[in-house]
Amino acid sequence: MRPRPPAMRTKRRYILARILPYGAWVDQKQVYFAVIEAATSLLGDAAVGLAQPAVVFCEGGYVVVRCRRGTEKDIAVALATVTSVADERIALRTVATSGTIHALRRRMKPIRHLSGDEEVKVGETYFAVYRYPRQKVDLVEKGIKHQKSLFFTEADLEER
Amino acid sequence: MKITDAGIHPYPAGDSTVARMTLEAAGLGFDSAVVIGDAVHRSSGAEVLRGAVIGAASVKEVLKRVRDPAVRRADVVYVDAGEIAFNRAVVAVKEVNVVRSIHATRRNAFDHVAARTAAERGVAVDISMAPIVHLRGTKRQKALQRYADVLSLQRRYGFPLTISSDARSILGQRSVRELRGLCALFGMTGAEVTEALSSVGRIIEPHRSVRVVK
Repeated sequence: MRPRPPAMRTKRRYILARILPYGAWVDQKQVYFAVIEAATSLLGDAAVGLAQPAVVFCEGGYVVVRCRRGTEKDIAVALATVTSVADERIALRTVATSGTIHALRRRMKPIRHLSGDEEVKVGETYFAVYRYPRQKVDLVEKGIKHQKSLFFTEADLEER
Repeated sequence: MKITDAGIHPYPAGDSTVARMTLEAAGLGFDSAVVIGDAVHRSSGAEVLRGAVIGAASVKEVLKRVRDPAVRRADVVYVDAGEIAFNRAVVAVKEVNVVRSIHATRRNAFDHVAARTAAERGVAVDISMAPIVHLRGTKRQKALQRYADVLSLQRRYGFPLTISSDARSILGQRSVRELRGLCALFGMTGAEVTEALSSVGRIIEPHRSVRVVK
């Protein structure tokens, strides 16, 4: 089958969003389901059908969502209402919108934790310490499933 | 003009400390944030303002609670909205700055009489983003209807509005740009959002006529 000529193809927009918390590992398919659920719930089937949102890729703490040109503002608003992916609490922070994925890749700055071997006790619970730039410290409960997270700063941790 | 998040609930009420939430708030485009609760007020980003919430069933109770030392120390005093008579009376209380949780009240609980009094006294109505972000279905639809109703009264009478994320975690905080998009869902324009975000500054430091000191 011959592809459509460029002038007749649907114009697309790509939205880059950062996944919070930083260390969260989420599956692309699960992110897609979460985005579609949030968008359909907020905008309705008709609007989402026309917008054709899709998750292009999900890696390095970022997600790129594709949609039709002209609907990117609506989809960005819908992304702000995503609160969980597969029962894991997350937030999607819109970083930029572009016509090409290449332009968005330039905006992606990988965020890696500086160290992660420490352990701290808050109340009766033990937490693993993950330090990030700008004095941010994420505490993740030690365990296998449904671990609680706390979000501190270096100063908060020292003060305890 | 300071862009302010009119309500965050840090650790121990939530899972993020004041310092972390203000750091995030600064990154999201806010100049200050009103911290509700007994958290330690230390900022590492945006400026921190104290907020106190009064949840009362009667105006008599509100008048009693505004004398509490914790409420007197607060920069911004909030009262949870209730029935129509309660709302009409509470906007006339001098110490009250903001009426909140308007989405949880019955239809017409905040009516034109309360709106006119709020405009005369400079009492603001808070628009929380939490119901729009976290609720789904009919509950969110009702919240959007209530906000649209409040917005139509605000356009008619001119009382101040505030916008709060009501976040208990950094995951609940939203950027100024995202707030503009969310507020557009119930018909708020960009200029109205900017004015609402900066109204906390005007509440704590109201415009007064120039006084000549000899």
